[in-house]
Amino acid sequence: MARPHWTLNRALAAVAMLLGVVAIAGNPHRGSTVRLDTQELATIVSSEVDHVTVQELADWIIQGRTEYRLIDLRSEDEYAAYHIPFAENVPVARLPGYGLGRNEKIVLYSEGGIHSAQAWLLLRAQRYPGAYILFGGLEAWRDEVLYPVVPAAATPQETAAFERAAQVARFFGGGPRVAAGADSGARISLPVMPAAPGAGIAPPRAPAAGGPARPGAKQRRKEGC
Amino acid sequence: MSAPFYKFAAFGDEASLVIAFVIGIGFGFFLERSGFGSARKLTSQFYLDDLAVFKVMFTAIVTAMLGVFYLSWLGIMDLALVDLVTTNLWPQIVGGLVLGFGFVIGGYCPGTSLVAAVTGRIDGMVFVLGVLAGIFAFGEAFPLLKGFYESGDFGRLTLPQAFHLPYGLVVFLVVVMAVGGFMGAEWVERRFAPRAEGR
Repeated sequence: MARPHWTLNRALAAVAMLLGVVAIAGNPHRGSTVRLDTQELATIVSSEVDHVTVQELADWIIQGRTEYRLIDLRSEDEYAAYHIPFAENVPVARLPGYGLGRNEKIVLYSEGGIHSAQAWLLLRAQRYPGAYILFGGLEAWRDEVLYPVVPAAATPQETAAFERAAQVARFFGGGPRVAAGADSGARISLPVMPAAPGAGIAPPRAPAAGGPARPGAKQRRKEGC
Repeated sequence: MSAPFYKFAAFGDEASLVIAFVIGIGFGFFLERSGFGSARKLTSQFYLDDLAVFKVMFTAIVTAMLGVFYLSWLGIMDLALVDLVTTNLWPQIVGGLVLGFGFVIGGYCPGTSLVAAVTGRIDGMVFVLGVLAGIFAFGEAFPLLKGFYESGDFGRLTLPQAFHLPYGLVVFLVVVMAVGGFMGAEWVERRFAPRAEGR
C-alpha cells in the first residue's frame, strides 16, 4: 500500500485536527477571578465617559433606539410606582447573576447616584465595558425631563429653548413648571404608571446630534456568504 | 487591551466602517480567486462534481472557530464581547430555504453575486438587482411579516449551550465534521467528476 501523499490540504487538515484535539482541554471563557485596572477606571471617571445624561436618555427613548438596556436598581415597589419607560427592574443584589450581556450597552439608574455608581463599579469589575450611569439618577430625570423649570422672567431665547424641553416633558407624562413653583420646596410627585410615553402626543423633534432615529427597530446584524 | 477592538476598545462606529470596507475587499478578492465569481462553479456543488464551495466555506468556518477559540483561551480576545445574532428558528429555516432555492436557481449567493457583478458578468448584475428588489419588497412588507420574523426566539444560543457540552469538545467535533466532510467531498467529486465531462 502506498504511503499517503502529504499535500498542503492534508497538512492543513492535520493541523486543524491537532488543534481540535487540544481544544478539548481548553476553555475560551475566563474564570471568575477579577483583576481591576484602577488607573483605567480612574481615567474613565475623570474623563466623564462613564455616564449618560437624562436628556440623552430621553432622546434615545423618543428616537426608539433599542441598542441599550436600561436598568432600574431600586426596589420592586419603587419600580412599580414609577420607572423610566423601558427600564428593567434589577435591584443591586440581583445584578451579578442577572442576564446582562457583556457586549451590551447598559445604563444604570437609581434614585440619586450612589447605587448606580456602586453597581457601575460592580459591572466594570466583571469586565462589562458598556456600563454607564444615568447622571443624577431618577431625581435628575424628574427635575430636568419630566418637570423642567422655565425661568419666571425668561428671555425670548430662553423661552424658545425651553419649548422643546416642554414638549419632551409632555411626551413622558410630565409638564413644565415656572421657577417660583420650583423654589417653593414642595416635593413633586411622579406621573402615575403605566404612563405610556407619548400617548396622544407627537414625539418631539430629535436633535441632530443624537444620531439617526430608528423608531421601533430591533437591532440586528445581517450576515451571509 | 484585548480583542475585539470594536465597540468598546480601540475604535468606534466610523473606524469600523473603514475596517469593514478593507475586510470586505479582501473577502471579495478571495471569493473571486476561489472561482466563486462564476455561477457554473457555484452550481457545480449541486451536481456534486465540484464541491469547492462546500470546502472553502467549511474551511473558513473551522479557521475562524479555531482562531477565536485559541485567541480567547490565550487571553488575547474576550469571547463574551463578541456580538451574536439571536436564534429565531422558524424564520431562519424559511430564510435558509429561500436563500438555497435562490442559490440553485440564480447560481449565486448574495456575496458571490457582487463578485460576479464587479467582474463584469451580466447574470451577476441581474442577480444583484434581484437581491436589491427582494430587500426592498421585504422592507415594505415587514409590518406584515414582523410576527413571523420574531418567532421561535431562542435568544443568543450557541452549540455548547444547546447541547450542554464543553466548549472545547464542540470545537473538536466541528473539526472532525469538517475533515470528514472534506474527505467525503473529495470522494464524491471523484465519483461524479467523470459525469461532468459530458456536460
